Amino acid sequence: MQGMEFVAKAAALLGSGICMGIGALGPGLGEGFVAGKACEGIARSPENANLITRTMLVGQAVSESTGIYSLVIALLLIFST
Amino acid sequence: MSFSIEIINIASFLGAGLGVGIASVSAGIGEGYTAGHATSGIMEQPKAEDQLLRNMLVSQAVTETGAIFALVVALLLIFGGFANGAGGWYRTAALLAAGLAVGLGSVGPGFGSGYTGGQAMKAVARMPKHSNSITASMLIGQALAQTDAIFALVVSLLLLYSTPNQPAGVEVGRIVIKSISFLGAGLAIGFGTFGPGIAIGYVSGRANEMIGRFPDQRSILTRTMFLGSAVSESTAIYSLVIAFLLMFSV
Repeated sequence: MQGMEFVAKAAALLGSGICMGIGALGPGLGEGFVAGKACEGIARSPENANLITRTMLVGQAVSESTGIYSLVIALLLIFST
Repeated sequence: MSFSIEIINIASFLGAGLGVGIASVSAGIGEGYTAGHATSGIMEQPKAEDQLLRNMLVSQAVTETGAIFALVVALLLIFGGFANGAGGWYRTAALLAAGLAVGLGSVGPGFGSGYTGGQAMKAVARMPKHSNSITASMLIGQALAQTDAIFALVVSLLLLYSTPNQPAGVEVGRIVIKSISFLGAGLAIGFGTFGPGIAIGYVSGRANEMIGRFPDQRSILTRTMFLGSAVSESTAIYSLVIAFLLMFSV
């Protein structure tokens, strides 16, 4: 590696940190919102607790997907540039 | 690249200032939110004044944690004796990143703990006789939210004390890569704990409010709170992994 290649590698590493950092923002907030509303729902109708928990986990799994995309991109930026 | 000790000083003072400044924003807002709800709780339910005041102080103390972490790191940055020429650019980047990591990393947990505290105040004002069990679940929720601030503190301390000094005669490109990867590690954990910190606080806040409304459902609410917080925490753990990789395997 020399010249601009070092700069490119450095940019990839900085990009990796920013990617995972900001990428964790959305899924984190989203999953917390789901779980908060699930608590509310279970408190109001405890007999549906299992159904609500299931829906909560499915919703969180879907919200998590963008967090995992960020993780994959961050790992790719570290190891394959 | 030529190097002077002043550059290390610049980085550590910048890191210290930015870290404490950013971390204090959310701690202040969070504590104010708690105090606001405690005040309106006292207005509605003057008899519960003792419990509200006590809970408010406990909650504010926990919310303050992130800002205290940032203060400790800032004092280490200023007085920790890093200003010798041995560190070079590696140390410069690591010092700046340490300040940013703990500062940004305390923002989410501060908001989250403050929200939990505020909702718990509402719950206590509604059901003063359940004050103790509400305090317990408030503290559990805030502790979960503060784990993110602890991740940031761990990364920050590792950046300060476990990163290598710049070896003599290393080529310029290697210096750039290594320094930038320390900065990347700080930014990854700093921004990465933002979302999970706020989210866990929101979950525990809702759980606390509902415990205040329906105290009989306490056990199932606590269970859901743990489950939801654990899943929300996952992205913070991804960020921690990326930060470790950037620090130690580049």
